[in-house]
Amino acid sequence: MKFIIQRDQLMDSVQDVMKAISSRTTIPILTGIKLEAHADGVKLTGSDSDISIESFIPKEEEGIVYIEQIEPGSIVIQAKYFPDIVRKLPQNTVEIEADEHLKVTIRSGNSEFHLNGQDADEYPQLPKLHTEDSFELPTDLLKNLIKQTVFAVSTVETRPILTGVNMKVANKELDFVATDSHRLASRKIPLTEETENIAFSSVVIPGKSLIELNKILEDTQENVEISVTENQILFRTKNLYFLSRLLDGNYPETSRLIPDQSKTIVYGNTKELLQSIDRASLLAKENRNNVVRFQTKTDNQLEISSNSPEVGNVVEEVTAKSIDGEELKISFSAKYMMDALKAIESDQVKIEFTGAMRPFIIRPIDNDQVLQLILPVRTY
Amino acid sequence: MNTWSDMAMTQPLVSKMLTNSISKDRVSHAYLFHGSKGTGKLAIALLLAKSIFCKNKELGEPCNKCKDCQRIETGNHPDVHKIIPDGKSIKKDQILHLQKEFTYTGLESNQKVYIIVDADKMTNNASNRLLKFLEEPSKMATAMLLTENSQSILQTIRSRCQIMSLQPFNPSLVQEKLQEKGLSGANAKLMAALTNNIYAAMKLSEDEWFANARKLVVQLVEVLQAKPEESMLFIHNHWMPHFKERDQLHQGLDLLILWFKDMIYKHIENEDAIIYVNHMDKLEQFSMHWSRQHAIGHLYKIMEAKRKIDQNVHPALVMEQLTLQIQR
Repeated sequence: MKFIIQRDQLMDSVQDVMKAISSRTTIPILTGIKLEAHADGVKLTGSDSDISIESFIPKEEEGIVYIEQIEPGSIVIQAKYFPDIVRKLPQNTVEIEADEHLKVTIRSGNSEFHLNGQDADEYPQLPKLHTEDSFELPTDLLKNLIKQTVFAVSTVETRPILTGVNMKVANKELDFVATDSHRLASRKIPLTEETENIAFSSVVIPGKSLIELNKILEDTQENVEISVTENQILFRTKNLYFLSRLLDGNYPETSRLIPDQSKTIVYGNTKELLQSIDRASLLAKENRNNVVRFQTKTDNQLEISSNSPEVGNVVEEVTAKSIDGEELKISFSAKYMMDALKAIESDQVKIEFTGAMRPFIIRPIDNDQVLQLILPVRTY
Repeated sequence: MNTWSDMAMTQPLVSKMLTNSISKDRVSHAYLFHGSKGTGKLAIALLLAKSIFCKNKELGEPCNKCKDCQRIETGNHPDVHKIIPDGKSIKKDQILHLQKEFTYTGLESNQKVYIIVDADKMTNNASNRLLKFLEEPSKMATAMLLTENSQSILQTIRSRCQIMSLQPFNPSLVQEKLQEKGLSGANAKLMAALTNNIYAAMKLSEDEWFANARKLVVQLVEVLQAKPEESMLFIHNHWMPHFKERDQLHQGLDLLILWFKDMIYKHIENEDAIIYVNHMDKLEQFSMHWSRQHAIGHLYKIMEAKRKIDQNVHPALVMEQLTLQIQR
């Protein structure tokens, strides 16, 4: 294998794939970066077995030549040293060559490195994904989907399946759902005609992978292609492939949890609510569950209060746009409420309650796509 | 030992059982391989893993050439998880990691294999965690537990595994093989008594430390017999500086056990079984001094000392106590 490449392009790709590489891995080969040279470009792969990132550097793009003198082949290089070497090389072009004894030579200007490589055959084979089972979403929409749901995944491993986000396709809608059994976040988007015949119906993507994906994707209008196989999911942008393993098992049925009628409906300004709950939570933090109290009053007034006997208490009145239905006193976790309000991304919210001991849902006023559900806390 | 037919030479019973279950596609969800050191537990486990993953197997024999086989051999297969004790025991975190692994789908296929080396070294916490997914096996996972002492594994774990007992090799067979490799008769006999693993035996016989250890053991017995009042000095000046590590001390005591065994053989006139053939004269002399009953008593004492070392008793104290007990 041999090629001469622009250092900046190589550096960008190395940085991308390094995000997947973990120093604490049980499989020795995964401490390396796989380099593959093909006639049309060079592909780098990094993996910690949960997620794998592939970055492709094309031979040329828009008339600019990035790579020259490609001799096809592949090798695995130690990820501990390679990025630093590339960063500190003296010149803008890098020549990388691997011989049949797995020796890698990196040349740039007058400096020359010799590294011991590993056999690329030892590297895990990532599944070949078929493009016919895929669909496309704009990157910024996907990032939004992730942001609005992933915070609600469970962080404890007692029910491993809940550490993931359930992605399912039903009724021409794509639905992302995450829950830790105390709260639930869901976001639906309508699917276009061409994506109707998607082969999968429901998969669970680990929350950690989605957080990582969100970091890597840039905020653009360009499309991300998503394909699902039996055991992996692939998110593909132009030159970056992000693969994640899936969680094994059946996701609990969540649609029954969402109440379909309500006794009290509160309309209010998202920002005002968020800020007053944030203030009330300052004193609630000492408390175990971070609990704040929420009470409806006459004249569209809401009272938000919190009390921790050893610290003090706080009471705040907020004016709602309107309050319909029965009077209500309810307590809930301020953290969950704040997370939910932040994820709404709308100026006005509608909160539907069905009694003090029943879960309540928060939605933006103008659409049904985002739904946040929170279980109240029982207080005496 | 890369094929089942090779394996059948040394472990005929287990190989037969496993090849049958492979060819009938009835591989159990959990196996417990137990057998003494060097009986090829890990080799069998890896072979079984290859048979599960290899795509071009013929009559249950893995090809040893494909990527899957090679990566299992080098430990790089992403769906084969090997757990070895981290320090003295297998910790809860290691099993937790495994548990997390099992909530994910496989990287290349949905078939997974996990191999737990020295499974008796699991902490209680770790064993109970492991039990959780031995009890509810997923269809595509195969567990292989390796141990030298199946009795110290939790009863509840044992009952959920198919137990495979590996036969210890015949010492005379090992001795023959070692002699073929160029060891002297006496040496080969000693090595065969200590280990079943040809490779380990060869390494041991070339080790200078071990040669000195043998000398020290004979010297210790001499001191104990001739000048018991000096035995404490001997322990502190010569024995302890040489046997610094716990493993080394175990080896020293193993050698001592062989010596007293020889003494018993001498008493019952089974001279073929004697291992220290180079020291026949001394054995003769000492067997006058220590009766058969004494020798048996000493063997118990040495075993007791070995147990104490495992229980973290200070090694110097263990040795002092042992020498006092043997003097009498």
